[in-house]
Amino acid sequence: MPFVRREIATTPVVSKAPDRSLETHLAGLSSTDSEARWSAARALGGRADAVAALAEALATEQVPRVREAIMTAVMRVGNEASVLALLPYLRSQDAGLRATAIEALQALPDAIAPFMPKLLADNDADVRLLAAELVRNMPAKDATRILCDLLQNEQAANVCAAAIDVLAEVGTRDAVPVLQACAARFRDTPFLPFAISTTIARISNTEG
Amino acid sequence: MAPPEVQRTRAIHVTQEDVRRLCEFLYRRTGMSFDDNKRYYIDRRLAERITATASNSFQSYFATLRSDAEHEIEHLVNAFTVNETYFYREDHQLRCMVSNLLDDILRRKTTGESIRIWSIPCSTGEEPYSIAMWLMENWSEVDKYNIEIVGSDIDTRALKAAADGVYGTRALMRLPRHVIERYFGRIDGNQVRIDPGLRDSVQFTRVNLIDARDMALYRDFDIVFCRNVLIYFDDASRRIAAENLYDCLRPGGYICLGHSETMSRISTLFRVCRFPDAIVYQRPEADHDDS
Repeated sequence: MPFVRREIATTPVVSKAPDRSLETHLAGLSSTDSEARWSAARALGGRADAVAALAEALATEQVPRVREAIMTAVMRVGNEASVLALLPYLRSQDAGLRATAIEALQALPDAIAPFMPKLLADNDADVRLLAAELVRNMPAKDATRILCDLLQNEQAANVCAAAIDVLAEVGTRDAVPVLQACAARFRDTPFLPFAISTTIARISNTEG
Repeated sequence: MAPPEVQRTRAIHVTQEDVRRLCEFLYRRTGMSFDDNKRYYIDRRLAERITATASNSFQSYFATLRSDAEHEIEHLVNAFTVNETYFYREDHQLRCMVSNLLDDILRRKTTGESIRIWSIPCSTGEEPYSIAMWLMENWSEVDKYNIEIVGSDIDTRALKAAADGVYGTRALMRLPRHVIERYFGRIDGNQVRIDPGLRDSVQFTRVNLIDARDMALYRDFDIVFCRNVLIYFDDASRRIAAENLYDCLRPGGYICLGHSETMSRISTLFRVCRFPDAIVYQRPEADHDDS
């Protein structure tokens, strides 16, 4: 048979993982070699003492896969500093970067919760729209309350649509009155009353 | 044995909107797509899970599902997928390996360099053994190269079963008769044992796909079969697994996922490659925009 089997005890299939210090990895983040930056970001995943350096590297990193690795590394820490490092990318002009930031932040529902009121009141409608998406992984009651607060005063139809889409999945019937009011407010924007009627049909039987 | 009334699924009213809500969640979370014409199929599995979780309404079940209490997402996905594993499962990917992937991989090989193939998770071994048998049966150049096949899983009991190489005859259902005769010996009417030569050609190891330290020990694979596992992971774990797999591949190496999984939803690290027999994902040979 053409198959060869390398026994780990003699000639390992595996090679020993390199063991480097925090300083070495931090230095790797600013290497001119993208492979070294990638490896450094991967090695620093989950290290709270590296978040500041990761955030700094993220601001200048141009290679998409290295940016992803930095965001994953920051996400794995999952504390307030991680959220602060990722939030600026909700304003990025690069759609890929925005999407990666959203995914990373969505994985941190507890850490992002204290930031939600400010994000949902942001002057930039695009930030409010993305913030509505961040609510999707939160517990149903919290998500419903946060999105209802938004819908009560939101003037941008697209932001309302994003919130309504999330409510259709995670909302409870407590959102029905706010949704009805929103439909009345946007009666001249036909897609919103339609989306709202679909959402109400889905959540009216839920427990409040 | 449980009394019959416990086994029976409870009749809980589920509306069309409830089903749509569930399907949208399943799609977003796992990539599995079901539409209204599968209503009977969905209802049956949903009723099973509502009963199994002792939920008293769809809403209560959906809350359990969203919070992933007691790994309910995994249980639901299991209910919606074929859990049975057998030889030559999803053989279109094995066809693709021989028809397209190996030629491209060989282009980058130097003389004497091995071809390395990894099956993770390999469960009880059907997949890595299938890869070996398929190569022996369908690749005319098989004798010209050294081929290393590694099967890894987090479950050490499954790995022991894989190394034992004893299977029920049901696992052979997709194999042609001549393949069974060549690679299996009958133990009794219900069980077979895989040929010792084939068994010894696969190395089995324990690995946790989302543990970077575990995965850091595995490098330079040309093809990774990573089927039907990422759908069970949450978004964060999927990102980590995708990065781990990227590092395990040689530049230009390929990943084959399960039929309901797509890497582009998980990560932009890989290139989608559409071949006649399968869609697979490739680690690019180099960064295009290196600074």
